[in-house]
Amino acid sequence: MNKKWVTLLISCLALCAFKIATQQLFEVPQNWPKPSYDFKKNPLTKQKVELGRELFYDPILSKNNLISCASCHSPYTAFTHVDHDLSHGIDDRIGTRNSPALMNLAWHNLFMWDGAINHLDMQALAPISHPDEMGETMEHVVQKLQQTTKYRDLFKKVFNDTIITGEHTLKAMSQFMLTLVSANSKYDSVMRKQNHFTEQENKGYQLFKQHCSSCHTEPLFTHTGFENNGLPLDTTLNDMGRMRITKNPLDSLKFKVPTLRNIEFSFPYMHDGRFKKISDVLKHYTSGIVHSKTLAKQLQQPIVLSSNDKVDLTAFLLTLTDKAFLFNPKHSFPKK
Amino acid sequence: MSQSKILKISIVLLLIQLYSPSIFAQSSTFAFHPSFSNQTLKADSYYKLNATDSVQITAFKFYISELELINDSKTVWKEKVSYHLVDAFDEKTLAVQIPSNVPFTKLKFQFGIDSLTNVSGAMGGDLDPTKGMYWTWQSGYINFKLEGNSNLCKTRHNEFQFHLGGYQTPFNCLQTVFLQVKSTANIKLNIDVEKFFQYIQLSQLNHIMSPSKEAVELSGKITETFRVSYE
Repeated sequence: MNKKWVTLLISCLALCAFKIATQQLFEVPQNWPKPSYDFKKNPLTKQKVELGRELFYDPILSKNNLISCASCHSPYTAFTHVDHDLSHGIDDRIGTRNSPALMNLAWHNLFMWDGAINHLDMQALAPISHPDEMGETMEHVVQKLQQTTKYRDLFKKVFNDTIITGEHTLKAMSQFMLTLVSANSKYDSVMRKQNHFTEQENKGYQLFKQHCSSCHTEPLFTHTGFENNGLPLDTTLNDMGRMRITKNPLDSLKFKVPTLRNIEFSFPYMHDGRFKKISDVLKHYTSGIVHSKTLAKQLQQPIVLSSNDKVDLTAFLLTLTDKAFLFNPKHSFPKK
Repeated sequence: MSQSKILKISIVLLLIQLYSPSIFAQSSTFAFHPSFSNQTLKADSYYKLNATDSVQITAFKFYISELELINDSKTVWKEKVSYHLVDAFDEKTLAVQIPSNVPFTKLKFQFGIDSLTNVSGAMGGDLDPTKGMYWTWQSGYINFKLEGNSNLCKTRHNEFQFHLGGYQTPFNCLQTVFLQVKSTANIKLNIDVEKFFQYIQLSQLNHIMSPSKEAVELSGKITETFRVSYE
């Protein structure tokens, strides 16, 4: 009888441990909205997240086996490609846009600057197949994975696959990307009443709420929609943004509103990386807006900021830096 | 017979029933028959469009989904997970299983993949994105793929590529197909590619690679060419 109780206790503990382990993989931060990703269709497990992480950092996903996802989405810079306005991929080919920072992806329905991708699972297909990015095909990636002992064993262990599938490769990558949650900045601790803004940061926060938050909505710091923010058209690229996808003229020059979280690290800014510094961005919003038919209604009236206001606003924006996220060892290159 | 023996036998019988429903439920098939006019379509063969022009087909694939059997306007059978990638040049994909003990007068299915499936993330089986029927630069299934070459195409290698798909209005390509049947056995579903080329001007239009008005229109025209026969 005693033995039975011990077994029961051990199983209970094991179950609890399992529950705690899975909870830590993904948690909805306090006072955040419900994620839009359907976790029921792809329940997170530690092994699947780890497999996704291996894939994320593995150049096997590219045609010449030299470019990995991390080549343009480096963990230390909020998973984006710093120092390049337009990101470059295979054979040093240069794309037409700045790689977006990756974080809090579970709360997004549409991906890419133009919303071309409708589900996180399908996102990786785009860079893998793009001739200027990784230049591969998903069919061939799966064949290459199948030829390695490492991935044959991992997929067998994790998904019980004898033949590696595209579905499972993509789902594993989603699992890793879903764990990239940034919600531990100074701003967050202030919201949780564990910390205080300085006077300057607080002034900046008030200015932010007045001028920026209708598009860069808290707590994600994006409303996840598309807007024309009045950038002059770069005629060397002629990128019409969302209209390329919907073919609707009302979407002309609209791009996805990016998050401002970790903005300190995610430079350069805008879809084509045209601005190197936060001050360039603020200058655009106060004196660079180009009026056109699809300009965001929030930008119809000029935004007036004194140079002191700009300093305060910048101080607030820097409270969105989340070092615990940027330097989380669970997000970095998988070590053997 | 002891009680335990009876129990064991019933368990075995139960398991057989669970895992091989085909022993009990009789199944039959209907088969797609891709053709060019009255000839069976073959990969890489040349087919005459007229006295001077010809086409060669290198790929011909499409999805059907949500298969149902209808008897006097009532649905009598619905396939549970119903997605089929039909490849004209892969014999085993041409036949689709249906139950043989259910009387019906109409076959109903969707030509393509519905919008909900299109936004539901990565899927397996025939829907796996490695099947070459998923757009990578813009999410969405390619419902219908026809590739080949013709002297009429002033393109690289005289190639033409028709990738029809799109799930969002106003470019939703999904087509509902109803086909009246006279007999439920040995149904053959003929798809005549020649009719496709009669409808379009190959010299003018040689590729569609994204959701568009033309893709919607052509998807409708293709389903109009479906004809039922029996063998």
